[in-house]
Amino acid sequence: MQQEKWIQQLQAGHQAAFRQFYDAYAGQAIRTASAITRNREMAKDAVQETFIRVYRQIDSYNPALPFDPWFYRILTNECLRLLKRESPLSNIESVENDPSLSEESFDQLTELYDMIQALDDSHRIPLILKYIKGFTEKEIADILGLNQNTVKSRLFKGRKRLKELLEPTREEDMS
Amino acid sequence: MSKFDERIQRELEQKTNADVHELKDDIWNEINKELFEGRKTVMKRKKRWIPAVLIAAAAFVIAFTLQTEPGLALIKGIKDIFVPEKELIQNIEGQDEPTEVHLNEGKDSEYIIYVDESRYKMIKGEDADLITTIDPLPEKYPEVSMEIKQYPSDKPETLVKELEEKLKVDFPELRDIETVSEPVEGFWLHGLTESTWDGKIIDVYVISNGKDGSFVITENYFLEAAEGHGARFYHMLQSFEIIE
Repeated sequence: MQQEKWIQQLQAGHQAAFRQFYDAYAGQAIRTASAITRNREMAKDAVQETFIRVYRQIDSYNPALPFDPWFYRILTNECLRLLKRESPLSNIESVENDPSLSEESFDQLTELYDMIQALDDSHRIPLILKYIKGFTEKEIADILGLNQNTVKSRLFKGRKRLKELLEPTREEDMS
Repeated sequence: MSKFDERIQRELEQKTNADVHELKDDIWNEINKELFEGRKTVMKRKKRWIPAVLIAAAAFVIAFTLQTEPGLALIKGIKDIFVPEKELIQNIEGQDEPTEVHLNEGKDSEYIIYVDESRYKMIKGEDADLITTIDPLPEKYPEVSMEIKQYPSDKPETLVKELEEKLKVDFPELRDIETVSEPVEGFWLHGLTESTWDGKIIDVYVISNGKDGSFVITENYFLEAAEGHGARFYHMLQSFEIIE
């Protein structure tokens, strides 16, 4: 399997293999970081730091466990760390919390992307991981350090909220 | 996948397309500079921090460690006195990495060290103890281990010079002996065979055993593993405490 080969080569410090690994993983990583941070520069820093950490700490990866959740846990943590550092006084919801979804913030939103981004982090980030990378509930739970049922509930609530907001305008898409 | 799921997926993809195209090369250039063009990040070496409870526990053990049955019983009960496991914040390349470490006693309970048992195991031998990877590394990788050995009748000042002469055979460019206070207080020898990814690295720390002898801690790893195993050995060694 290509992924296993990359990991072995990364552990051996092969630069060419690292470039191939970067080419394969960077796109989805940038999408994820961009969606989570909502900020291009922050996404750039988060992805850059993630790849550097993966290269330097690949020996701390346990090959018995799936690689992608490990990689995305580093990436997600890095995004959250940068968000908190950037806005120390803002109340960025931790993914550990489960606040209710805000009603007022959706009033002016017309695009689905904006609606997703207006959800609180506890609902927004699981949705991003599910729809950008296609992670399962269990994998999202591993990445965010949450119970699988919690993730299931948050995906359900987040998705339901988006549907409710879109219903008046796009009923035909609600299959 | 429903149409609604597809729409969310499509929306996220479209809205992040521009970032992928505009950032991918820039990010690689920065990574390349950082990792392969010599812009090195200096590893922050934290000041040693020993929890008060450990100092108190060590003092308690030392005070009562006599060659009597109650004293021996106390030594054997070190695991009951020291915190059996704790979270160690490992600073690896400027990044704090919380790691759960477990208390391990050395040969005859002469010392304690906290070991990251998610990655390493401690093998107790007749003459020395060895901390090494849980699963052996494939053959192509040089040895990765940390050996802890006591020399009861060799003073550090003499022993480090003897070791320096021996090591120069395999490590011709061995650095001169240095005195360090981190990760342990004593003498330090450092050698590298060659600057390739698998170049062997050795770090030898020679410290007083508190009496007339020494403890020698020998770390073996390779160049590419310096940021990983090398850094982790360093942090584990910071928790090293002599009991007798």
